[in-house]
Amino acid sequence: MTIALAHRPALASDPALRPVISFHGVGKTYASGTVALRDIDLAIYQRDFVFLVGASGAGKSTLVRLLIRDEMASSGRIFVDGQEVTRMPRRRLPKLRRKFGIVFQDYKLLPTMTVGQNVAFALQVTRPGQRHLRQKVEETLWIVGLEDKIDKFPDELSGGEQQRVAIARALVARPRIFLADEPTGNLDPDTSWGIVQLLLQINHRGTTVLMATHNREVVDLVRRRVIAIDGGRVIRDEQEGQYLREGEATI
Amino acid sequence: MRRFFSAFWFAIRSSLQNFRRNLGVSLAGVCTMGLILVLIGALALGTHLLTNVLKDQESRASKLKIYIQDGVSLADIVNFQHRLQVDTRVLDVSFENKDQAFQEAASKGTDIATAVTALGSNPLPASLNVDVKQLRYLVLLDAVARSDPIVDTTQPTDYNPDVTPKIQAAINIIEAVVGFVSLMLLVVSLVIIMNTIRTAVYARRTEIEIMKLVGATDWFVRWPFLLEGILGGVLGAILAGLVVLGIYRLVVSLTAGALFSIPFDGLFTLVVVAGLFAGGAIIGAIGSYLGVRRFLAA
Repeated sequence: MTIALAHRPALASDPALRPVISFHGVGKTYASGTVALRDIDLAIYQRDFVFLVGASGAGKSTLVRLLIRDEMASSGRIFVDGQEVTRMPRRRLPKLRRKFGIVFQDYKLLPTMTVGQNVAFALQVTRPGQRHLRQKVEETLWIVGLEDKIDKFPDELSGGEQQRVAIARALVARPRIFLADEPTGNLDPDTSWGIVQLLLQINHRGTTVLMATHNREVVDLVRRRVIAIDGGRVIRDEQEGQYLREGEATI
Repeated sequence: MRRFFSAFWFAIRSSLQNFRRNLGVSLAGVCTMGLILVLIGALALGTHLLTNVLKDQESRASKLKIYIQDGVSLADIVNFQHRLQVDTRVLDVSFENKDQAFQEAASKGTDIATAVTALGSNPLPASLNVDVKQLRYLVLLDAVARSDPIVDTTQPTDYNPDVTPKIQAAINIIEAVVGFVSLMLLVVSLVIIMNTIRTAVYARRTEIEIMKLVGATDWFVRWPFLLEGILGGVLGAILAGLVVLGIYRLVVSLTAGALFSIPFDGLFTLVVVAGLFAGGAIIGAIGSYLGVRRFLAA
């Protein structure tokens, strides 16, 4: 089988630069018959910062969910860190998911827990008995700029601050890959820009970042790799890309 | 080991926190569980009391009087009595001679003395009084008696073919009704409890989702919910145990000194209370397991 890599094909043979994420002919069709993704081939490397762009319903979120096996691919193969996700037994999924830090548009914070407890929760449920828990939580909150909010509850914070808490929770276990599914979808432009800067900072520390978004301003301002999806297909994969190709009115 | 104890401690702490944080839903679950367990406990109690009354009635009805012909030798009677005693369907056999039959008839107010005067002798026959283990054996032992030559041919036994099947039928119907009601109650209670727990679990689906996403194992997600289900079940059982015991003591005190008095059965009470605790814990755990499974599989 020929593996079609959409990015850095010349380096694919170098074991040190093997992709951390690769999709090979991946398709997803729901039980209702709706085709969400078809024949996706792509490769994402360590330290990449990738924008996954496309209109609502294009298949961005499905792609993210296939990566963490929250959904099962209907066809093709997906690899994360050299391990095949598509054939992974269910009992190994927790270990796979610990490679990822994930944030969503709706933050998914637990309202009955404080900021510190929300962040600590990710470590408590995956690494019970973790030493220096409080110290790790404080360090992570310092990275996202919320060290002074550790004892606040989510409803006492702004939308941007809540998303930072979600980022801290995703970051506290030091994941290899950071997935952000529309993280700025509910935020104003200034706050969105703050969140993206934070993700760039995380990427700068060596973490691969994949951000699904339809925030045109952010994508055009950052000028990083852009993978555009439309109708369930990858229609464009560019380094230092923009939200729209020149002359395009929409994706 | 440190990780195991930390995980266990986390599960206990988390279940207690969740119970407290969702106090309204938790208490609704405990009350539902308590009410169901009260019904189950009351049914167990009622069945126990009814069974005792039925057994008493059955033991009274499970008696057969085999009349012996006049003039039969004592050796033949003892021989027949022995054959009956070794029969596996028989509990006990006692001999009643003609004089004892006369005294018993007289004690029941029968004007037997007039008959003796008129006839010049005691007309009542001697008999072997047989206690059978079950009511349904009466007809079989009646047949055994009729085939024996020492038995009175005019009236071999006091077996009444009309009465015994009616008593047996009544017992069968009562047992069937109690069994059916118990089964229905159990099914209904399981459905109600599972739905209550599912509602509680549904309220925390975000928490389950986050645990899954950050890489918690299925059992790590499950344990706090299982412990919470067990806690709710045990609290419901305490509630139910108090109510059932209260009802039982009330029934015992109300029937004290009456014709059909019900004694306090300590061992049975212990069994019911232990059953309620075990039942509450098991139903709570099963309900939680099934409730969480749905969200883990999603």
